[in-house]
Amino acid sequence: MLSPKSPLSVAVDIGGTFTDIALLDRTTGQVWRTKTPSTPADPSKAFLTGINLALSMADRSAGALTQVLHGTTVATNMILEGKGAPTALVTTRGFRHVLAIGRQDIPRKANLYTWIKPKRPVPPSRIVEIDERIDPGGIVRLSLDEKSVAEAAEALRAMQVKAVAVCLLHAFANPAHERRVVAILREALPDVAVTSSTDILPVVREYERSLTTVLNATVMPGVTTYIGRLEQRLKTKGVEAPLLLMQSNGGVAGSSTIRQAPALTALSGPAAGVVGARAIAAACGIRDLITVDIGGTSADICLIKDGRIGLTQSGRIGDWPLPLPMVDMVTIGAGGGSIADVADSTLTVGPRSAGARPGPAAYGHGGDLATVTDAHVVLGHLPDRLLDGGMALDVAAARGVVADRVAEPLGLSVEAAARGILAIVDNHMVGAVRVVSVERGHDPRDFTLVPFGGAGPLHGCALATLLGISRIMIPPAPGVLCADGLLAADLKAEFNRTLPKAGLIDFDVANGIFAELEAEAGSWFEAEGVLPEVRLSNRVALLRYHGQGGELAVAWGGTKEETEAAFASQHLALYGFTLDSPVELITLRVEATGRTAKQPVTMLSERAAAPTAGYKTVQFEMGGVDVPVFDRKQLGAGQKLAGPVILTQLDTTTLVLPGWSGVVHPSGAILLTRDAGVPQ
Amino acid sequence: MLRSTDPGPSQFDPSESANVCDPVTLEIVRGAIGAAQAEMEALLERTAISAFIREKKDFYTALFDRDGVMAVGSMVPIFGDITGPVFAEFSPDSMRPGDLYWYNDCYGSRGAVSHSNDQVLLAPVFKDGKRQAFVMSWAHFADIGGIRPGSISPDATEIFQEGIIVPPTKLIDAGQTNEAALAIFHRNSRFPEQSLGDMRALMASVELGVKRVTEILDRFGADVVADALAQLLSRTRRLVRSRLAETFPYGTHCFTDAIDSDGHGNGPFKIRFALTREKANGHDRFIFDATETDDQAPGPVNFLMNPGVPGMALGLYYLGGDTSQVCNAGGPQALDEVRLREGSLLWPRFPAPLGMRGLTMMRTLAALNGLVNVAGGGAPAAHSAYVIAIMRGTFINDSGVRERFLLADGIGVGYGARPFADGIDAVYFVAQENYPVEFLEVGYPVRLREYGVVRDSGGPGRFRGGCGIVREYEILAEELVLAIRIDSVQNPPWGIAGGMSGGVGRVTVNPGAADERVLAPLSDGNRLQRGDVLRIETGGGGGHGHPFDRPDAAVLEDVLGGFVSYEAAERHYGVVILNGVVDHAATRDRRAPRFPVLAFHRREYVDAIT
Repeated sequence: MLSPKSPLSVAVDIGGTFTDIALLDRTTGQVWRTKTPSTPADPSKAFLTGINLALSMADRSAGALTQVLHGTTVATNMILEGKGAPTALVTTRGFRHVLAIGRQDIPRKANLYTWIKPKRPVPPSRIVEIDERIDPGGIVRLSLDEKSVAEAAEALRAMQVKAVAVCLLHAFANPAHERRVVAILREALPDVAVTSSTDILPVVREYERSLTTVLNATVMPGVTTYIGRLEQRLKTKGVEAPLLLMQSNGGVAGSSTIRQAPALTALSGPAAGVVGARAIAAACGIRDLITVDIGGTSADICLIKDGRIGLTQSGRIGDWPLPLPMVDMVTIGAGGGSIADVADSTLTVGPRSAGARPGPAAYGHGGDLATVTDAHVVLGHLPDRLLDGGMALDVAAARGVVADRVAEPLGLSVEAAARGILAIVDNHMVGAVRVVSVERGHDPRDFTLVPFGGAGPLHGCALATLLGISRIMIPPAPGVLCADGLLAADLKAEFNRTLPKAGLIDFDVANGIFAELEAEAGSWFEAEGVLPEVRLSNRVALLRYHGQGGELAVAWGGTKEETEAAFASQHLALYGFTLDSPVELITLRVEATGRTAKQPVTMLSERAAAPTAGYKTVQFEMGGVDVPVFDRKQLGAGQKLAGPVILTQLDTTTLVLPGWSGVVHPSGAILLTRDAGVPQ
Repeated sequence: MLRSTDPGPSQFDPSESANVCDPVTLEIVRGAIGAAQAEMEALLERTAISAFIREKKDFYTALFDRDGVMAVGSMVPIFGDITGPVFAEFSPDSMRPGDLYWYNDCYGSRGAVSHSNDQVLLAPVFKDGKRQAFVMSWAHFADIGGIRPGSISPDATEIFQEGIIVPPTKLIDAGQTNEAALAIFHRNSRFPEQSLGDMRALMASVELGVKRVTEILDRFGADVVADALAQLLSRTRRLVRSRLAETFPYGTHCFTDAIDSDGHGNGPFKIRFALTREKANGHDRFIFDATETDDQAPGPVNFLMNPGVPGMALGLYYLGGDTSQVCNAGGPQALDEVRLREGSLLWPRFPAPLGMRGLTMMRTLAALNGLVNVAGGGAPAAHSAYVIAIMRGTFINDSGVRERFLLADGIGVGYGARPFADGIDAVYFVAQENYPVEFLEVGYPVRLREYGVVRDSGGPGRFRGGCGIVREYEILAEELVLAIRIDSVQNPPWGIAGGMSGGVGRVTVNPGAADERVLAPLSDGNRLQRGDVLRIETGGGGGHGHPFDRPDAAVLEDVLGGFVSYEAAERHYGVVILNGVVDHAATRDRRAPRFPVLAFHRREYVDAIT
């Protein structure tokens, strides 16, 4: 229950190495943070160990918890690695190759001579047809032949699958057949997870819908088992609080919602980070920001305008389109482990990554390729030891790979080669920032850059300079923002209705549908236990000019004219023109939010000047400079910083370039500004 | 005879020492241009009106250097010299900021566009008053007038029947739009609101491209960008030439392939290619010669092949999966000379019709694969030409009113097997997508009964050829006239190195019923009515390698997945499958005596395709 009475929330984020825990008393705003080694074989172990640790730090009992918040990468990893449960698809007779054909294209950027169609998550041999047919208006043209469903059930049993996806033609217009097929199959195959497109994505276009239903099915057994184990352990430890999981849309939802639609968590991790960044920015009074979350293999870039995180329904995961609501971010294959390579005297960086193992050469695990991290090491951007001294860097190895792999083939000095690697990877990220800003009609210079993730704060100043951005905010713990995001997240769900046929806006009809959707949202609020005073719902219309392929999401106005005017101005801002054509209504959407109490942020005490922890020689383009190094734990609120400076902490390293200066905000965040007169 | 010996102003490599763009900046400029291109394409896709552009995605973009040489193109080997036709009418030095140029004139552009539906918009980009680059957006317009809705028809006998012709025209003169030209153009379309909306989207996309390239010029400086483009060109040219030299020993290498028919009772038409590598003044010269190709056709299958096309296709082949390389004019520049014969199928005389040139274009690509293969290269086996079904007619809409419709449905085929992988199943071409079943049924008077792959249409081989597609429609229109375009029925896509030829396409009306009829594969004027069933099956790709070398597990998966029949598994692959399981002993026996093979296979093993 989202109850304001005894609000004690715990957030758990499970990483590859460590599990991070944050416990928050929402009344006092006090936060206890801890971490414990992850237990990959059974992640629920570390989950409980961590919660107990935090509770004992706070001297509270398990029964006092009111919320357990969790971001999970279980679904993400199963989809990306193709390791979901063996799954079958049930489809309308005549359409068993729906996945094999896909959109029948060779991708625009692929080479037709070498491209290989990605292997589908379900092979055609596990796609079963049944007899039925519904038309686009939802009218049954061929009744469901239950005998064919029974035969399908036998075939599925013989395949020994663990999950079954049901996606029938035009089910978004009439779900009756899908519902009946699901019921029959559940009865016939009680140990198999059965799910339908109606439950996850009731929208037009059979390939994308079938694929999404299949992905949802493949992760369902794994996610269900995982959630079940967590809840079991919580229960035995006396935790009665509900388990809430982060979804790709940046909101949390109860475990029963996620069991039904686990694919909603496909981008759980990155979404949690974005929400965390927004929460800290809000504490600093920043509402317009661009987040850059840089990890080992990839970077996620997201724009937040006026405190609002944009959502999209045209996202992708790995090789697949996944048209579920997700935080509108751009992911690129650029991170600390991205490999720099020279071929035909061309230097490229990424998307190939050295991963965690062997990782960068500097980590000493046998990596023999030059990575972005190695370039940082060569230039002196990193301290000699990482993880609060727990891990030594092999500088000689980093120099060796950058020299052999990049400097020599290009005839450059080792330092110039390292700077080249960083210039290229920075530029990839600048390109992604432009996609979320310039291409969406925003000027990045109006935003604060918020770099986070293990490698983000090393690139912040360089990226901001390239983009003409003059303000940067470095969060207090940039490597572990997900836990903060979980604590700050609202409960969120979307209720959509796609009209059978796109048409002109009939304001009264639309308002009627909105009322129905709001009723659905009301039931969901009840089921999730959201108190009336924190409920919020917004009406959104997806509109386009008659005949167009893409829709724009527009806030539903008080009148038809107001709504159409809002559409026109958005079209003009995005695409540079408007048309005289009529405006069509495609989909109505109610966004339901259970607002969370905004947690006060821990405040640092003032401390004028911390001592330096030493100096590090950094190779700038103009030559070597001895740069002061500060331990971030030693910094108090109000402390001023003038670049160049290096800040070290457990989870990341921050590089403040010359021309930038900063101050430590009472929240612990560092606010950097570009000095006047420094060229962009 | 047409000799193209001057492939463009940037033929010679800039001296490496004179580079002003270092390798790091080069990569950054390349990334910025790629991003600009992606953004232009996204805008077109989201804002265009016709299904042809927004759902099928028949559009492309490119960037050219200040002299009009393509520096960054699309991954489609069908572009020739795009800017030359504009320069012939409007001197580059007379161009001003805010200009926009437009054409769809096939003959007037020497095949830069090869059927009139494709509209090309080209704009110069200036910095500090000097012309520094050009950007292009290109899209297929659904109807521009002509003999029948959709503008292209197998019935056409001259290009005047294939819609309005726009010679290179200044559409915007330093910011002033020539509204009259647009009005005339849209007035000639049967669907003027689509024409207008698509043109607006195309113009907005070029406008965006100009803006983005200007920003790139501002950021890096004109000289650096110019040098970057020159390096991208010379890099591609160098790579393609060195790979050509690896494939082609000195001497002349020949390959012949054929299209079946022109839809007017003529054919087959042979496409004959020769590539000669010779040494002149100590340097290699590569000469591409298509002059032996058969005479032009009375029907609209002529392909006015811009001399840049063979080099562009070979270039794309040699670039392969190398993402650090760019598809650009470096491909065409790798060939020293291209010879075409006026009056031939590949260089027809005005005003021969061109509307169905797609099938000849796709066969040309397959013949280029053959040319590489006879010289010892590792190109794919042949593919079928993608299939088009154009339906025009009337239906009674929801309000009870008779309404006119046009559906141009592009249907995928199987591509040829590679020496390292199966051919691609069920694809149309690069970038172009299908009309989903649910999309079709919402917008058009048809109901799909089946949409799947055609079993046994992929040529058997160690690597199987891709399978074609079956699409079966129930007609809900009151009446309609169907044009169909299928090739490679008489001359199926060849297999290589022991791989067998791919299956052939076929169109049937009311299959299995008393009034069943098979339609001519390239024909128009086929009348259908409400309740008819139209079944279209498309061809597959050729196989690669001896079918007995295909792992039995792969054959089993193909059988269970509906790509290969039990019978074909046994007959062609020697794999015996019983009750869904491989019978290993029987398979061993069946595979013990290997049937002998020859270099190519088209219905039977042959030494050469002729």
